[in-house]
Amino acid sequence: MMKITKPLFAALLVLSGVAFSAAAVAQAAAPAAAEPPPPAPSLGTEYTEKGADTCLMCHTEAWPYPIFPIFKTKHAQRADTRTPFAGRQCEACHGPGAKHAGTGDKNAINSFKSTSFLSPEERNNFCLECHRGNARTGWHASTHASNDLACTNCHKLHAESDPVRATATQPEVCYTCHKKQRADFAKPSVHPVRFAKMTCSECHSPHGSTTTAMLVKPSVNQTCFTCHAEKRGPFLWEHAPAAEDCTLCHTPHGSVYGALLKKNAPLLCQQCHTVSGHPAVARTGAALPGGSAGASGFLLAGSCTNCHSQVHGSNHPSGVKLMR
Amino acid sequence: MKISNQLLLLSMLSALSGIAGAADSGTGKPDTSKWECKDCAFEQGWSGSVDAGLGHVSDKSYKFGEYTGLNKQGGFFIGDGSVRFRGADAYYWNINASNLGLDSRSLDAEGGRQGKYKLILKYDELPHTLSDSARTPFVGNGGASLTLPAGFPAAITGAMPLAGTLQQVDLSTQRKRLAVGGSWIGASDWEYAVKFSHETKDGMKRSAGAFFTNSAQLVEPVDYVTDQVDASASYTGSRLQAKLAYYGSRFSNSNDALMWQNPFAVPATPGALAGQLALPPDNQFHQFLASAGYQFNDRTRGSADIAWGRVAQNQGFLASTLNAGLVVPGLPGSSLNGRAATLDANLKLTSAVTDRLRLNAIYTHNDRDNQTPQASYPSVSTDMFLGTPRTNLPYSFKQDKLKLSADYRFTPLTKAAVGFDHDRRQRTFQEVDATNEDTFWGKITTRALDKVDMTLKLAHGERKGSAYQAAPGILPPENPLLRKYSMANRDRDSAVLRIDIAATDTINVGLGAESSKDDYSDSAVGLTSGRDLGLNADVSWIVTEQTSLHLFGNRQEIKSTQRGSQTYSTPDWSGENKDRIDTIGIGVKHAAIKDKLDIGADYTVSRARSDISVNTGASNPAFPNLSTSLDSLKLYAMYRLKDSLSLLGSYWHEHYDTRNWMLDGVTPSTIANVLTFGEQPPRYNVNVVRLAVRYRF
Repeated sequence: MMKITKPLFAALLVLSGVAFSAAAVAQAAAPAAAEPPPPAPSLGTEYTEKGADTCLMCHTEAWPYPIFPIFKTKHAQRADTRTPFAGRQCEACHGPGAKHAGTGDKNAINSFKSTSFLSPEERNNFCLECHRGNARTGWHASTHASNDLACTNCHKLHAESDPVRATATQPEVCYTCHKKQRADFAKPSVHPVRFAKMTCSECHSPHGSTTTAMLVKPSVNQTCFTCHAEKRGPFLWEHAPAAEDCTLCHTPHGSVYGALLKKNAPLLCQQCHTVSGHPAVARTGAALPGGSAGASGFLLAGSCTNCHSQVHGSNHPSGVKLMR
Repeated sequence: MKISNQLLLLSMLSALSGIAGAADSGTGKPDTSKWECKDCAFEQGWSGSVDAGLGHVSDKSYKFGEYTGLNKQGGFFIGDGSVRFRGADAYYWNINASNLGLDSRSLDAEGGRQGKYKLILKYDELPHTLSDSARTPFVGNGGASLTLPAGFPAAITGAMPLAGTLQQVDLSTQRKRLAVGGSWIGASDWEYAVKFSHETKDGMKRSAGAFFTNSAQLVEPVDYVTDQVDASASYTGSRLQAKLAYYGSRFSNSNDALMWQNPFAVPATPGALAGQLALPPDNQFHQFLASAGYQFNDRTRGSADIAWGRVAQNQGFLASTLNAGLVVPGLPGSSLNGRAATLDANLKLTSAVTDRLRLNAIYTHNDRDNQTPQASYPSVSTDMFLGTPRTNLPYSFKQDKLKLSADYRFTPLTKAAVGFDHDRRQRTFQEVDATNEDTFWGKITTRALDKVDMTLKLAHGERKGSAYQAAPGILPPENPLLRKYSMANRDRDSAVLRIDIAATDTINVGLGAESSKDDYSDSAVGLTSGRDLGLNADVSWIVTEQTSLHLFGNRQEIKSTQRGSQTYSTPDWSGENKDRIDTIGIGVKHAAIKDKLDIGADYTVSRARSDISVNTGASNPAFPNLSTSLDSLKLYAMYRLKDSLSLLGSYWHEHYDTRNWMLDGVTPSTIANVLTFGEQPPRYNVNVVRLAVRYRF
């Protein structure tokens, strides 16, 4: 008698458990019978039977949104155990897919599209699960994060090569939002971005940084010195604005004036230099060639820099006026 | 009777899982052992594409080829490629090469064993052509010593024998950068990386040297080497991420001085025959960085960074003067022993206090403590006469910034944010000891109408400084009414509006306006106001499955006004700069024959105009406009001959015209006391034709 009772009791308990859950499901479903609003889209909880092979039954090479190029990327390197394809394959990033595979409902899975029912932050959490740390350590407090930018707004994972990570194509991705900069790089004096020789990410850290304008280095000048180290100094005679912040005189994206300046000399210099003597004199059209005052070196060719050529500072003992 | 614990647990779990299933939360781990991925198109072996061909540039222009190496007329070789290797056990290589036939060539290679280690190799060349119309009588251009032929010196440029001595010099520089590095994944979430970069920059650029009121534009040699090292160890855990890094940069210049012969005769000081310009001295920068991020819980995250740096420059001093006729006291030392300590630190905290409310706080501290010793230096004014000794001013800067903000999500499609920034800056040896700037801003992002997303941000900032005083040691003294704009009291207002319209399934329209206004109303002399207004519009249209179109337009207006005083007192003249820049572009992509022929075109037009006016109250002759116009048309096509072979062709036409009154009509002898290069503003009309074969494998 005892021997039969134990398993019988256990079976009854299991049955009760099943009945319990069936009731719970029925209860959840019951309100639906009384004309409720459609359930909010939500991620499925069950994984597919065959992983990627299930997904690829519909998402074939002929699918309008190209899926297959991902197999050429690092995410699909199975021998690296960190990658999605070494684990849950498509569902590592897109979430459990049985519900979507069964119903074909677009709202039953995270598509990473901008029309996804998940917020950008929720979509980003999938990426940050593996890609937190290093450049992304400061993502949470970055301007891009607070503007609800999703990783997939810039990164294309199903592409053979991600456009934002290639020199020739990165600026175009940034111009999607930063339209002013596209026009800036078409100006006469520029950094070589439109010639595909320089990218936004050489100066800027799009994943977050506390420097002004999300620069890669802790200060504006330190960023400029990575390519313009000859201006680092410290010099014997420093030009205070140059030592403080290059952008006091220069505008790094593009300018209609030479050398990426905000204004030409002499007016640029006369914003700060008006000592008694030649710096205080107003230079008008009279100083042009053929003008009433005669062609003046204070105005033409290099203007102030015709004599004060060492504008970034000088290490010459007699260079206090930046003329040596 | 006893009931097996395991069975009890099993039944409880089964009950729980049922309820959990109904509530749609929690999930079990999938059994991925059966997931064969047999339909997955994994790659093995080499694959990629290589382009080879020829191109031709119709005309020489330094400005057209400014950064590309297309400044010379004639043919050039096209070499581009993108090649991949995928081996067993995660071995891989990615190699990209572009513009191999031009001076802007680059090669980028990365390879290793994914998940274990990685090696990188990068080689990049960057030309920068500065001028092809510079003319100079000096001999030895590109070197450290410029001499003059017979017939010099003369009293004024008009009396110099320029006709027979002027030669044309192309001013340009070339950078070549080689970087090698590697990274490897250590035990327990650690990753180590190191990178070395060696860059040389060679060429010639503009400079100038003066002897009192006579000066000459000079060719300065560029022969720089910049070496950089980056080394880091980073830890990426589930809650804590940390990184320790070192950055080192060393700059060295093969030339420490540029000596030039004085082309002007100065009978008053017969010894002023030659001068020396100090070229940028060798310097070094070493920086240790540490950063960490910590996920306190699902809602709160903090991160911190700190960087300690040292800058050093100790190049031997040049002589105070080359004028043998002057007796000059000795220098306080043989070199500067210039050094500065930098400290950059920040702390960031963000917390999703509720499901809708998020708070952010960032504190940043930046410090450049210039520890260069001060001393009194004898000063010879332009190699002509001994002046008063001068003491150097080692400027230090400190900045503390606090940024607080809160954003509240009213609905999934509407969010509002407000913020407050406080920026305190302290400076030494300057007119203002400390400035404080407070900025308030508010932003709202919403789906204004169905398919219309809108963002509006408004900000108002006020900067006030401590008392404006005469900076010590400045001779002659500055006008006490001058306010230097970097330190002056300022009101800054800005507004940004952005509208994105998903007009139809195939048409997206973006509109934007950005405006900022700076008012320096407490400045009597100096910069008094600045305005910048930008408008932009973008349309992207997927016309058919084969054709897509993109249009964009930008207008920018920049205006700034400043005041000066010719009488070293109250302002008596004003200057105004007004820049207007218009850019429009259109691009078309069309798959003319499906899977066979793709064609496209891009057309960009940019027009810039600057009006500069200086007004002294009397009638002043005006300046002509500074203007630039750029027209650029690119046509391209790709024809697929077979799977592995395609033909690429492109035609690029560009027309550029500038008017610049600083250069127009200025020849080397136009200005009596300045021997200029006589450079002319660039104008060009260039066509580039390219034809290449792409082999795909």
